[in-house]
Amino acid sequence: MTDSKADFNPFGKLTYLVIDDFENFRLSMRQMLRSCGADNIELVSNANQAIQYCTYNHVDVVLCDFNLGEGKNGQHILEELRHKKLLKRSSLFLMVTAETSKEMVMGAREYQPDAYLTKPINRAMLEKRLGALISQRNVLMPINREIDRENYPEAISLCLQALPRQPRYKTWLMKTLGDLYFQLGDLAHALKIYDDVLAQRELSWAKLGRCKVLLAKRSLDEAVDGLRDLLAKHPDYMEAYDLLAEGLERQGRPTQAQQVLEKAAEHSPNALLRQKHLAELAGSNQDMDTASDAWRRTVELGTHSIHDNSEHYLALGQTLSDLSEGDLEEEGAARAKEALAVLKKMEKRFDGEEDIGLRSRIVQCRVYAGQGQDRQAAKVLESIRPELQDTATLNAQTGLDYAKTLFRMGQETEAKQLLGEMSERFSDDPDILQKIESLLDEPVGFRQKIKARTLNRDGIRSFESGNLQEAAEIFSKALEIVPDHASLNLNLVQVLMKEYGNNPDSDLLRRCQSCLARLTGLPEQHRQHRRYIALQRKLKGLME
Amino acid sequence: MNDQNIDFSMVLASAVHDMKNSLGMLLNSLDELRSEHEESLGESSRFNTLQYEAERMHNDLVQLLGIYRLGENNLSAHIEEHFVPDFLTEHLARHTPLLQGLGIEVSVEAEDINGFFDEDLLTGVLNNTINNAIRYTRSKILLTAGERDGYLVIGVEDDGKGYPESMQHTGTLNFKSLDFKSGSTSLGLFFASSVAKLHSEGDRSGSIKLHNGGSFGGGVFEIWLP
Repeated sequence: MTDSKADFNPFGKLTYLVIDDFENFRLSMRQMLRSCGADNIELVSNANQAIQYCTYNHVDVVLCDFNLGEGKNGQHILEELRHKKLLKRSSLFLMVTAETSKEMVMGAREYQPDAYLTKPINRAMLEKRLGALISQRNVLMPINREIDRENYPEAISLCLQALPRQPRYKTWLMKTLGDLYFQLGDLAHALKIYDDVLAQRELSWAKLGRCKVLLAKRSLDEAVDGLRDLLAKHPDYMEAYDLLAEGLERQGRPTQAQQVLEKAAEHSPNALLRQKHLAELAGSNQDMDTASDAWRRTVELGTHSIHDNSEHYLALGQTLSDLSEGDLEEEGAARAKEALAVLKKMEKRFDGEEDIGLRSRIVQCRVYAGQGQDRQAAKVLESIRPELQDTATLNAQTGLDYAKTLFRMGQETEAKQLLGEMSERFSDDPDILQKIESLLDEPVGFRQKIKARTLNRDGIRSFESGNLQEAAEIFSKALEIVPDHASLNLNLVQVLMKEYGNNPDSDLLRRCQSCLARLTGLPEQHRQHRRYIALQRKLKGLME
Repeated sequence: MNDQNIDFSMVLASAVHDMKNSLGMLLNSLDELRSEHEESLGESSRFNTLQYEAERMHNDLVQLLGIYRLGENNLSAHIEEHFVPDFLTEHLARHTPLLQGLGIEVSVEAEDINGFFDEDLLTGVLNNTINNAIRYTRSKILLTAGERDGYLVIGVEDDGKGYPESMQHTGTLNFKSLDFKSGSTSLGLFFASSVAKLHSEGDRSGSIKLHNGGSFGGGVFEIWLP
């Protein structure tokens, strides 16, 4: 090949950073880079040095070994550099790995390296591979520069101009275009890009992109079908699991969503954000065993990750507390012990974070109470109380958790008062309102919660099949577990009123009255409030 | 054995994985040694043998893992669009030190076309094929690529004696056709054939062809991808 710029050395102008824990490898990499014409090469042996170096220096090409021994690995470095924006999009990150298969490194939800280099690496290989990446980088530089500036419309028009001129980088250009349109919210154009690619060839990245757009367009059924189809052909396509779980969740199928994420976590257990998503989902499905395993894994994976967060420790502590509550056998005691250890570790690791000690003690109190250590629990509660005098500035999470503890400690009036205040203060935040409602409805352990929910479902089924007496019985049984549950009380009222239509027994109305009396003080923001008012009015009518 | 509920193929696979990584380290050291002692080692046939055999083992292990995953239904082709000449020259670079050491002349004749394939899987196939060619060629190896009948055809040709009659064939191999008694198990060909089959488009799927002739009149390996 004759090149008009044959004497131009593409390696020379760039700056390099080599990260490897073996000195021999660092030196031989430098040797190889130099013989390719590189000049400005920095060598470091671990993650901290690498991040430190990138904080103060501009680096064009990072060559990072995946396995760096103890501590952070190459993926952690990549995430941290990109997350903190220490590495521009126009810079190259090459992951050097001993694995021919990418399983070890694959499966991160965000941040993929620009290329993998598989050991053994020789000079000729490095020169070809890196040379090709560098010339790609140079050609695409104007586009990446605009993306770094977040000037997406300009980046799009540059991509469109490059498309006919750079057939070699067609895949990159189409992927980037789809992504940019998506980021801009121009879903119609994004969809067209993926459809254009798919018209030529069924490529999995384009199918994934298409499903992502469909989800954003709320075409949930089509997206879910597409993703299932994709996974049938590519069971190792991790991003597809994440999207499928999201789709199922939005379709209102949280159990199926959880199963999908469990399968993904089995394939690739090292992605922190996926484990976290699984933990949250399992928790809201009241599957506390899965939730605690996934939170435990999230905490472990956080050790070296930029995504580490005290919330993960707290959630693990809370889940273990729920599991151990009232379980005085060996297993319960072990979980309670683990919960306390996790909380202690959190206090140490996130020392200095606002309210960290307080949040820890709120959970500790429940752990002790759940193990029958009432005196210890009371002591912890007394130490919390003075710090929580001023509830007006309490953040939502802390407030909810405190209310939960108050319920466990038998301080119902105080708990309800706190939640009432909160529902006013957070009246424009539907997520928090829903959490407040759930806690007001079901201030009990998760095993009882499951029991009450199952009864509620059974009751509704009986009601629908016209078996009023059975429905009333089942709802009453459920209310023995959660007496203040708003929709359950209202369900029972409705059943009883209907029964009264067939059989005007005034005792039925008295029972209605006592159900509604339990809901006095139901906050106006509660989603059942209108139904409550309506049924109250109807009852009045019947009693006149 | 069954009492302990040991999944033997799983044990084997992890052992193979380990061995493969060790060999990777070994190969790395060999490359370094060669470049550090270019004068004295460049022509050393014993050193060349050392590197060649290590490469061969490494390839075998990579294939073994691939076939294991195939058996577990855990291997799928991640097909992307690639610029074929770039892929071939980048790929060839890996073999450059050994080829130079052995004094084998190698060239690429590829049309400027894009192809659809899984880079990693095809790398595995080509590594093995080139290594075979190194073994049987006299002095030359040629990589070719072009479009024929709507397929992307990548070929590896050498100037050796060619494939024996019994090995020349077209299409796909199945696992039963492997002969574990004869010295050569054709494991490499089975792997290549499986990889070809994983590449499908509509109702067309890939295949391999072995014949003699080509530019040098020696063995010709071809992988046809839709």
